[in-house]
Amino acid sequence: MSRYTLLFLLNLPFVIIAIVSTITRYKLRHMGGRRTLVQLTIWTVILIGLALAAPVYNWLSSSGYTESDSLSLFDVIQITAIVALVYIATRLRSKTDALEQRLASLHREISIKLTRK
Amino acid sequence: MSKKKVCVIIPAFNEATVIADVVKDAIKQFDKTSYETTVVVVNDSSEDNTSEIARKSGAVVIDHIMNSGAGGATATGLRYAELNGFDIGATMDADGQHMSRDVLRGVDIIAKSKIDLLIGSRLIDSRGMSRVKVLGNWGLSFITRILFGIKSTDSQSGMRIFSRKALQKLRWKTSGYEFCSEMLWRAYQQNLNIDEYPIKAVYTDYSKSKGQNNWNGINIVKSLIKRRIGELFG
Repeated sequence: MSRYTLLFLLNLPFVIIAIVSTITRYKLRHMGGRRTLVQLTIWTVILIGLALAAPVYNWLSSSGYTESDSLSLFDVIQITAIVALVYIATRLRSKTDALEQRLASLHREISIKLTRK
Repeated sequence: MSKKKVCVIIPAFNEATVIADVVKDAIKQFDKTSYETTVVVVNDSSEDNTSEIARKSGAVVIDHIMNSGAGGATATGLRYAELNGFDIGATMDADGQHMSRDVLRGVDIIAKSKIDLLIGSRLIDSRGMSRVKVLGNWGLSFITRILFGIKSTDSQSGMRIFSRKALQKLRWKTSGYEFCSEMLWRAYQQNLNIDEYPIKAVYTDYSKSKGQNNWNGINIVKSLIKRRIGELFG
């Protein structure tokens, strides 16, 4: 199996999970339209980039635009780690945001309820 | 016709020096009107006796368990107004820079119109305001326009009047002073009718010492940019 195929296969689950969870959050009205569009665009660009990495490299190489070596196994692991981190960071950010809102709401409701007593 | 219920909300943090005057003045101003008014002080976990003084002055006091910032305190006050079926909500600063008669004027405008969110603008007639403050507020209003596409002469004003619809629909996420701009953005997203009217701000030595300086404005801009970009990517 070529390293470009390995790169694509390793990253595919992250991209699919990210796209599915973005659409789910939109359908459940946890996310607005514009934000969903930006998220989907980012993940689609990543997916296309991964899928076209080999042909783009071959074209650049054969046209003399680059003299760099093709992907090493370390490169594959590094790129996969970056994509995984982007996915994790995005998820964590939205979870923290939701948690912050729930905490603020809880604080508000408790303060109001305590006033009534 | 039944009296309209008005909730005057005063978010306060360490305002023991002036809170009694602000509360008494608001009660006195609305006493002469046909509105059924409650003055609510949201004590944002003050370290002085703001809470006791406000209560003795005749206000309903909501004590925050932990400090939440101006945005958090305002949100609590508006939620109280919503839960208790008020028709109109009004917020004013606790440092004495706003005049109760301006609040009443705003309430009258909201009561007679279809406006949902009315901003008391200090910059329509900025006489008496220092140039530094005018510049700072103008800058923040400009940033608000760039980031959110909302035109306002005074996006940071603490004097705001809310219709019942606004009380039910308006929610924001930031808790610091940046909530002023974010609130306008959320109101715009909710298709609320936004307008502004001129008010006079009274700058005493005390209110100057409590007010925002332009360095804090940089913090506000930073938070707003973070929020705007975060909403797209997060």
